[in-house]
Amino acid sequence: MKKLYSNKWVIFSLVLPGILVFVFAILAPICLSVYYGFTDYSGMGEANFIGLENYKNLMHDSSFGRALLNSLLLAIGFICIQHPLAIVTAAVLDKLGGRAEGFFRCVYFIPNVISVAVIAYLWKFIYNPDFGLLNNILKAFGYEGKINWFSPQMAIWSVLIVLIWHGFGWGMLIYYTGIKNIDPVLYEAASIDGADWKTTFFRITLPLMKPVIQINVTMAIISALKQMETVYLLTGGGPGDTTQFAANYLYQQAFKAFKYGYGNAIGVVFILICILVTVGLNKIFQNKDID
Amino acid sequence: MKKKLMASILAAAMAVSMMTGCGDTKDATADAAADTKTESAGATEAADAANAADDSASGEEVTIKLFSNLPDRKNGQGLVEQTLIDEYMLENPNVTIEVEALDEESYKTKFKAYAMDGMPDVVSIWGQPSFLDEVLDAGVLAELNESDYADYSFVSGSLEGFKKDGKLYGLPRNTDIMVFYYNEKMFTDNGWEVPQTYDDLLALADEINAAGIVPVAMDGGDGWVLACYMQDLMVRLAQTPSDKIANAIANGDFSDPLFTEASQLLADTAAAGVFQTGFDSQDYGTAQNLFTNGQAAMFYMGSWETSMALNEDIPEDVRNNIRVFVMPAVEGGSATATDLAAWNGGGYGVSADSEVKDEAIKFLNFMYQPDKLSKYGWEFGVGLSAQDQTSYLTGDETELQLQVMDLLKNATNISGTPINDCGSSSFKTTIETEIQSLANGSETAEDFLAALGEACK
Repeated sequence: MKKLYSNKWVIFSLVLPGILVFVFAILAPICLSVYYGFTDYSGMGEANFIGLENYKNLMHDSSFGRALLNSLLLAIGFICIQHPLAIVTAAVLDKLGGRAEGFFRCVYFIPNVISVAVIAYLWKFIYNPDFGLLNNILKAFGYEGKINWFSPQMAIWSVLIVLIWHGFGWGMLIYYTGIKNIDPVLYEAASIDGADWKTTFFRITLPLMKPVIQINVTMAIISALKQMETVYLLTGGGPGDTTQFAANYLYQQAFKAFKYGYGNAIGVVFILICILVTVGLNKIFQNKDID
Repeated sequence: MKKKLMASILAAAMAVSMMTGCGDTKDATADAAADTKTESAGATEAADAANAADDSASGEEVTIKLFSNLPDRKNGQGLVEQTLIDEYMLENPNVTIEVEALDEESYKTKFKAYAMDGMPDVVSIWGQPSFLDEVLDAGVLAELNESDYADYSFVSGSLEGFKKDGKLYGLPRNTDIMVFYYNEKMFTDNGWEVPQTYDDLLALADEINAAGIVPVAMDGGDGWVLACYMQDLMVRLAQTPSDKIANAIANGDFSDPLFTEASQLLADTAAAGVFQTGFDSQDYGTAQNLFTNGQAAMFYMGSWETSMALNEDIPEDVRNNIRVFVMPAVEGGSATATDLAAWNGGGYGVSADSEVKDEAIKFLNFMYQPDKLSKYGWEFGVGLSAQDQTSYLTGDETELQLQVMDLLKNATNISGTPINDCGSSSFKTTIETEIQSLANGSETAEDFLAALGEACK
């Protein structure tokens, strides 16, 4: 049997399905995207080769710039707000024990179980200036005006809150698992040495969680970059392009404005950015490992 | 040797299982397409035969594929379409009509896919440059013979949007007018009056706001309604703005004072609080709900919403009191109250390389017989068709329906396609985004118009 697995043909036949899926579902579409990115294809009729025109336009496209800026904001929001909160919550949950632990673990994860469409509509109603929950709460406290949560100045923050809230449970669960994997002996030893909760958290929990944090941060940044469905359903990138994100913009250009060529150019730039970011993150984390 | 043998057997087994795997998926897709494929294969022969012989119902089986943007087959326009299909199939037992219906956005996306590898025979289309130009350039629609439709009583000018270089490629289904729906009872209870001038409207809005009610519920999240509002203002200012719009789009130059005036007026209107707070991020349903729940006094939308008067889900005291008025006169504008922001948007066309083209056109003509689409549309309360409907009054019409019909009957001028649909689909996307920024005050009228000009290049 062992010999069997060293036979080239067996290996080949086992690997082939995976390779085929990769080639036809990922590699070929990317190559096609690169090709169409150089054309003025509208989805119908002829595709004319126009060289770097699309990419030149993209450089001056303020909406695309705005979309990237928003992705950056979201990534910062994830890393600086969502994840610290998630780690602390996970640590607290771990100490809770008993039924309460299971209960809260469940509760925090609920938003992740609900479909994105439902989440988006739920928040649409919460934010509604006329009959929304938020404004009604403010009213109960005696505030008379109607706050427009999706005003051009506030819209992006309102969207960020929803996204941070929605992804919170997922991040927390991974941290929670990470914490559960830390050997309890370490905590016992620390408490014998007289360490308080602060010292335990910063000297034991956090350092041992480093690999988990690395994974979580990488995933957060990637999900910030590819954010699409919640924004599409919540604001559609509006008002104006204040809540535009790259993937949503790509969709709009390709499937609404019928600029397939331009949409593909956005896609190519988008892939490059994702690769750069991932490589960059890996570099950063590797360097830290060496320290 | 034994091991080698076993290895090759295993490899072969793997390959076979993979192939069956592939085969299965192939079968599955084939299955999915089966009914259409086999039937269309049959239909080809049938069509050929039908072409050869006269089209006197020879009993040859024909399948017509209809691709529709009306997924709701039990209500409104979709019901009208389905009723006609059923009727046609009953009259022509040899004809089978297969319907594929998707909502508008998915429809337009799939339409592109079909354009590349074969259209269904009869398709929903829009007689507006933003949709039709690219479609006609790709040459996927069959030319229709305009003289065939001389006695179909199409409203004059309604075929224009479906023509290119004088050739007709489709037929319009509806006439759409932009109107303010208002709650008459709310108006009389509060002593408000239907505004005659734009200043009246602004003054009225202040009064309504003071009463704690939203003056006009606006679906600003979609952008196109705001563009229609701007179109409406341009009609009030210049009576027939379509030439200026066409020129501006052709030259990418929106410097004409008409555009500045209209866009500034729209921005001022929004700033004066005529629309609800956050209108620029609220969708169709939310805006409409404000009105139907009595939280808003007016609702700016197209005449297709006249069926609100028949909608049992709307509270009775609102439903029975919905009336309409058109955009009030703007100071300095040249238009009268009977000049309307109206157009003929949706309709049908036939695929250019349909294998059953003659049968498809026959079915199209059947639908457009004056006592079909128009009559049923009127009876089912879906609004105005693009044909003369006056002979189909049943006496059961709602007040709202009659009011809207009168508007059209007395119209002295019809604006044609609204500005957002006059350019390419890329122009449409731009104006529908930028107009939100204009309306919510984050962009000036100059920047807005500059962005429009840019999008035309």
